[in-house]
Amino acid sequence: MKRKMEKPLHFYLRRDWLLYLFLVPVLLYFILFKYAPMYGLVIAFKDYNVFEGITKSEWNGLENWADAFANKWVWKSVKNTLVLNLVTLAINFPLTIILSLLLNEIFHMKFKKITQSILYLPHFISWVVVAGIATDLFAQNGGAINSLLGRVGIGPVPFLSNEGWWVFTYALCNVWKEIGWGTIIYLAALTGVDESLYEAAYIDGATKLQRTIYITLPMIKSVVVTMLILSVSKMMNIGLDAPLLLGNDKVMEVSQVLSTYIYRLGIEKAQYSVSTVIGLFQSLVNIIILFIADLFAKLIGEEGII
Amino acid sequence: MKNKRKRNGAGYYMICAVVLVFTIVCLYPFLYVVAMSFSSTNAILSGKVTILPIEFQFTAYQEILKKQQIWSSLWVTIRVTLLGTGLSLALTIAAAYTLAKKKLKGRKFFSGLILFTMYFSGGMIPTFLVVKGLGMYNTLGALFIPNAVSVFNFIVMRTFFREIPENLEEAAYLDGANDWQTLIKVVLPLSLPIIATIGLFYAVGYWNDYFSALLYIQDPAKYSLQLRLRSLLFTEELNTMAGEAVGTPVMAESLKMASIVVGTLPIIVVYPWLQKYFVKGVMLGSVKG
Repeated sequence: MKRKMEKPLHFYLRRDWLLYLFLVPVLLYFILFKYAPMYGLVIAFKDYNVFEGITKSEWNGLENWADAFANKWVWKSVKNTLVLNLVTLAINFPLTIILSLLLNEIFHMKFKKITQSILYLPHFISWVVVAGIATDLFAQNGGAINSLLGRVGIGPVPFLSNEGWWVFTYALCNVWKEIGWGTIIYLAALTGVDESLYEAAYIDGATKLQRTIYITLPMIKSVVVTMLILSVSKMMNIGLDAPLLLGNDKVMEVSQVLSTYIYRLGIEKAQYSVSTVIGLFQSLVNIIILFIADLFAKLIGEEGII
Repeated sequence: MKNKRKRNGAGYYMICAVVLVFTIVCLYPFLYVVAMSFSSTNAILSGKVTILPIEFQFTAYQEILKKQQIWSSLWVTIRVTLLGTGLSLALTIAAAYTLAKKKLKGRKFFSGLILFTMYFSGGMIPTFLVVKGLGMYNTLGALFIPNAVSVFNFIVMRTFFREIPENLEEAAYLDGANDWQTLIKVVLPLSLPIIATIGLFYAVGYWNDYFSALLYIQDPAKYSLQLRLRSLLFTEELNTMAGEAVGTPVMAESLKMASIVVGTLPIIVVYPWLQKYFVKGVMLGSVKG
């Protein structure tokens, strides 16, 4: 056994040369498009010059960092990223669990299947389309939702042009898109719950609500906790599509997030070095949060998330 | 069991009703879009359209499909989706197949190299500079090559390959097959469902992707469908177009809705197949390591 382990490298290369050959394009891809950009992060410490390129541009120490952190928009983007993520989580997280519990109760299989098909669908719709529909539905003048509200004497509500309402609308669009998809993981956990427990509780006269609180929830507790830790660990991460497409000039103070600001500063204004600093700062904070979340998960006796 | 639960009649139907409300809220925007796209200008202006088309007509579609730009963007997106899905599947299968093999020396190192990119990346700007530096700016390749492999899909596929009984492959090796023949004749035929799932995931991703085009495409003639849709939905382009369409009174709004339908239809068409497999895909992906 031991001798087998010590075979020289060329033995493996000769035996598994085809496998290594399969890996070549894969490694090439990761080196070119993932690791080369990581090397490109050095421009956070350089005065990047398009003509000199990444390697030859002059080092300038922490100048870009000073520039970035003196910029009030950077701090606003950090704040907005956290606010949008937290508001979305606060609505989406409990609602997803409630919907899963409800779906789990349904035993008319056809009804369940059709509702699930419809609930999962928005996950596959592009943000361009979702935002396009949302701006139409939520429009202040003549939007379907405002005309409906108008009929019962409310509004018109400035869903997209008032800062507070915009945050709410943003969260709502996210919930609409992802709530059904989010139930998959809970439903899988729920099918693992032992049916005989319910029967025993039923015989003891427990109501449906009691059964949910004392049997179902404890059984899926670990999935719930893991999902919560996972979401919290992504607090500083935000997709660019939703805030960019739903946002407009009137709500820039709340819709400017890290990804959109990096895009606007880096791509539209070609301030490569400073925008790279912001991106690197975001990645570093992300990693720190991830490690803390992982540690926390293990401390409370759950599985780690890394 | 069924009967016991049924005794809670009223409560059960209330649960069904609540689920139905969720479902209707989910479905309503789709119905609204379709209804608007087929309705007449008068009906839209009077705010009568809710879920059914009023004064049914095809005018908006006729106008939208007359637009040359829609067709060229559609062609860009079709090519990106096909080429991209092919490349993505090839790379993901290659990575997952090799790294699922316990016998491969260096397997942990290579897996680590791939998994690391899930937690740390160069980010938007350095990636943009690298892609530009490779001469891919404003090319079709920029729309699918830089994001060809999803680490999540790699994990899903590797988990699946690991579950294939080892003795099946052993038998092939004993018959003198090499790793390539084993992959083609033993592993792939057993993995068609997972390949279909992941292929569909990739395809939907490419179809819906708008950020790559925003980042890397400057020439409007090379716009992908989603980027084209954005410029149709969020700029004045369609209002002008509606104004120009003399004799055929169409509203910008129904044009917008028609273009949404055109851009989303392929997703709806493949959705039944997608749905058949994705639940399993999601569960496989949650098994990490």
